[in-house]
Amino acid sequence: MPLSAIMSDGLGKTYADGTEAVRGISLRVAEGERYGLLGPNGAGKSTTIGMLATLVRPTVGRASVAGFDVVERPRDVRAAIGLAMQEAGVDELATGRELLVLQARIHGLSKREASRRAAALLEQAGLDEVADRRLAGYSGGMKRRVDLASALIHRPRVLFLDEPSEGLDPRARVDVWDALIRLNETNGTTILLTTHYMEEADHLCSRIGIVDHGRVVIEGTPAELKSRARSASLQDAYLHFTARNDNERKAA
Amino acid sequence: MSTWSHTWLMTRRTVLQFPRDPMVLVFALVPVLMMFLVFGGLFESVSQLPGFPTDNYFEYLAPAAVLMTTMPGIANAAVGLATDLQSRYLHKLLTTPASLGAIVFGRLVADGARLFVQAGVILVLALALGAEVATGLPGALLMLLLGTLFAIVTFGVLTANVALKTKDPAAVQAVFPMAFLFIFLTTAFQTATQIESPVLRTITDLNPTEYVLEAMRGLMLTGYDWDAIGLAFGVILALGIVGLPLTVRNFRSVYR
Repeated sequence: MPLSAIMSDGLGKTYADGTEAVRGISLRVAEGERYGLLGPNGAGKSTTIGMLATLVRPTVGRASVAGFDVVERPRDVRAAIGLAMQEAGVDELATGRELLVLQARIHGLSKREASRRAAALLEQAGLDEVADRRLAGYSGGMKRRVDLASALIHRPRVLFLDEPSEGLDPRARVDVWDALIRLNETNGTTILLTTHYMEEADHLCSRIGIVDHGRVVIEGTPAELKSRARSASLQDAYLHFTARNDNERKAA
Repeated sequence: MSTWSHTWLMTRRTVLQFPRDPMVLVFALVPVLMMFLVFGGLFESVSQLPGFPTDNYFEYLAPAAVLMTTMPGIANAAVGLATDLQSRYLHKLLTTPASLGAIVFGRLVADGARLFVQAGVILVLALALGAEVATGLPGALLMLLLGTLFAIVTFGVLTANVALKTKDPAAVQAVFPMAFLFIFLTTAFQTATQIESPVLRTITDLNPTEYVLEAMRGLMLTGYDWDAIGLAFGVILALGIVGLPLTVRNFRSVYR
């Protein structure tokens, strides 16, 4: 059995105000897998990614990423991961190229390698013409693409993407899908992503976990989920499992 | 990659930002230039009074001018921090191998150096207006160091905490005029004997700014008064011991 690139056992987060964002998520994502976390708004997907990426402290359970415990070895986890958050976190005073080079340098790439990687990713993201303009002048979609490129620049072993194609036009979305599949197949990068686009999950993910009310309610390949829900589409399967979860909660 | 390398990358990033936001460079100098023009003209006759330590009022004003550059000027570091928090770029940096210490210290080094140079420009302006530094270049550099360190442990700490709590650059900007209050409630513009109100004199005695200002003024007007310099560094150290751990604690709250 392949090693787990991402592993969590009963991982949960209750905020100081008492909000229970995640109630105990247990995951096993193998190396080289493309795993999708689906679920309604507020289901706990972003908090889960936050905990796995060492930004949010879990209040219960444990997790490891790339073999390192997220609480005990956060620096090792950070060296192994790339993260693109829901809102593109960019420095608007920097140029696209500077942002990528800095990210690469922080991850220990040499000046030359950092410049080379930045140029290649900017070209791949269709941003080579605006590479030396400040990010303040970029559109939302362009910032998103730079943010995604910065998550990839150091060739992370594990990539976390929180709604990676949100705000992108259809062409850019397909380009992102192609880039992620290529990255996964060429480098064996493990990808965990959240999305609200079912066609994206169907196209990209080898396995999917549906999260609702802070728990994984069902897990399987897109084909398995569709088959178990007796649905033709992943969207119907998703609606089936999230509705069932609501009904079970009401009954309880 | 070491913490020092990460710190240097963060310092470099902040330095590159300075010319891209010219207000940061202009902002710190305008109030002081205004002070030189307005107060310098208004109070010049004060220096003619018996017992005034110098006959050049700009010489008396110069240490206060240094503090008026460094104290409000450090708020820009906090504005940068609030901007990174608001844009969530700070969070992005926090998921890299760069430690929180390197991210914060890197910015602080860059902003400290900026303030040191900006205050130096103001000092050169005072020299151009006929002032002289009694202790020469080493004393002038020590004066700039005191002004920069004091700004970091007082207003730097205050505005950084406002940034951490509000994540709003505008909130930080709203706080910065308070820096002038700390400077006005000292002997920055007139000697202690010239302050008539006993209440104001008590406030001046209680204001830590006064002790740093006195050491700086000594370097400017008379010579090395090591007791006063020691006291000033003691005040800076004490404020640092109180303020910096509090700031570090609030910084950790960035990790939710």
